[in-house]
Amino acid sequence: MTLGEFLSDRLGSLLLQLTCAGISALFLWASGTQPGVLVILLLALLPVYAGAQLAVFLRRRARLEELTAILDRLDQPYLFPECVPPPAGLYERRLFDLARRACRAMTGAVSDAQAAQREYREYVEQWVHEIKTPITAARLVCRPLEGEVRRRLSCELEQIEAHVERALFYARAESPERDCVLRQTGLSEIAAQAIQAHRTLLIQSGVRVETRGLDCQVYTDRKWAVFILGQLLQNAARYRGESPAVTVSAQPLGKQVRLTVADNGIGIPAHELPRVFDRGFTGSNGRRSGGPGPAGGSTGMGLYLCRRLSRFLELGLSIDSEEGRGTAVTLTFPSREALGRPSGPAPQ
Amino acid sequence: MQTILIIEDDPVIREELALLLENEGFSPRCVTDFSDVPRQVLQAAPDLVLLDLGLPGRDGAALCAAIRRASRVPVTFVTSRDSAADELRALSLGGDDYITKPYNIPVLLARIRAVLRRGGGPAAPDTLEAAGLTLRLSRGTAHAGGKTAELTRNELKILSCLMARPGQIVSRADLIDALWDSRIYIDDNTLSVNMTRLRAKLEEIGLPGYIKTRRGMGYQI
Repeated sequence: MTLGEFLSDRLGSLLLQLTCAGISALFLWASGTQPGVLVILLLALLPVYAGAQLAVFLRRRARLEELTAILDRLDQPYLFPECVPPPAGLYERRLFDLARRACRAMTGAVSDAQAAQREYREYVEQWVHEIKTPITAARLVCRPLEGEVRRRLSCELEQIEAHVERALFYARAESPERDCVLRQTGLSEIAAQAIQAHRTLLIQSGVRVETRGLDCQVYTDRKWAVFILGQLLQNAARYRGESPAVTVSAQPLGKQVRLTVADNGIGIPAHELPRVFDRGFTGSNGRRSGGPGPAGGSTGMGLYLCRRLSRFLELGLSIDSEEGRGTAVTLTFPSREALGRPSGPAPQ
Repeated sequence: MQTILIIEDDPVIREELALLLENEGFSPRCVTDFSDVPRQVLQAAPDLVLLDLGLPGRDGAALCAAIRRASRVPVTFVTSRDSAADELRALSLGGDDYITKPYNIPVLLARIRAVLRRGGGPAAPDTLEAAGLTLRLSRGTAHAGGKTAELTRNELKILSCLMARPGQIVSRADLIDALWDSRIYIDDNTLSVNMTRLRAKLEEIGLPGYIKTRRGMGYQI
């Protein structure tokens, strides 16, 4: 609040007081007071009056600054009315009471929504664990079947698993710190698990997978890294071209490790590339390949989840693609020292 | 024959798993009454326990601790709970391995064998013999009539897969599956290339036509 703002806000009362002073002076002059005395009186009153206004201005400005500072320090700004020192004036006190009542209603609504979201997440996690039992049973049941039927059923089961996994990780991505364990893991192990999880899709799609230079160690959460890599492999199989091949290769970069998943698939149009990590973005490729089977429809969730999880794991994630030539996604694993954080996710 | 005790509440998984393990040459036993599991473990005296962490009304980790108090038998957890906290807790309570559902069957079998080997079971044989050819797995060599051929990793895997089932027809898809199990991720074309090279090497040591092609079905020794 500047002095100008303050004065223009009080313009009405200033004019009223000036009018009153004028009428008083007129009255005193008419009743015989010497004009010299009147001038002395007005000159004496002016600093008193101006000083009082200045004091009000300074007090209010200090109060506003104090309140702004409190608000800026709060993690949850909507708790502001609960955290301010009680106001002195009657009017301000009443305003605060009103604001506090409004905010209590909102705090209630926020915590209800948080509880509902937590319950939903817990339900999704529980559901995912439950659905895994019949999927496991189905895998065991279809094992003795004759070759081709078994392979096709396995492929469908694998698709179900992939969708279930995405649902689980979507629920987990809400509060990733609850299930994240950073530890030393071999990249070859991460790659083997991810390839294993999607092998039927890859084999059925005729994809050749090459692994190169994976004998290095990274510090990350293995399960999440496997999930991210799995999404990339699924994309490579889904958007494959002629005689498809995927290369999973790694190279150390100082203390970091860079993992690249490169395919020779249909690629992504340049104008769509900046949006592939957006939630629900399917692009022209995704829309074209819709439908069931190993090709599968795009959900627009895979890369979105990859980006969310890699941000939390502090992985660098970048994509490079040329239409008709292929796509390369690079994951940069941070060094162990860079991860020495006090596990600080977004404030609650 | 090694005995494996299955502690699993889902009847379909329990029975199918028992069938699978039996086909793979193990002797499976199932627990169907979950009231006094440690006593049943002692009675069955298995070489390995496959324990589901999500038994109804029982905490699988506590159960593992109870089994541990009674016996030194290796325990492999099989569970649909895959959170890091669950895994750490289970392993800290004396589990030997932790496999999450839905598992890939070859992976499950490989990990069961690995735990059993650690427990001092019989090691996998190092040599395979079929129809006049001897395969040394650890050296990666094939021997016939005093001649030796050095094989690549892919060729070794293909040959051992065929020699493990002499007389049977092994389809190309099954061969590819077996290769992927060993982290060799090849496609159909690469398999053809490897097969041609393998046959050439076998011909050099005096075994032309050792691998027969059964058109439309697969390969056979």
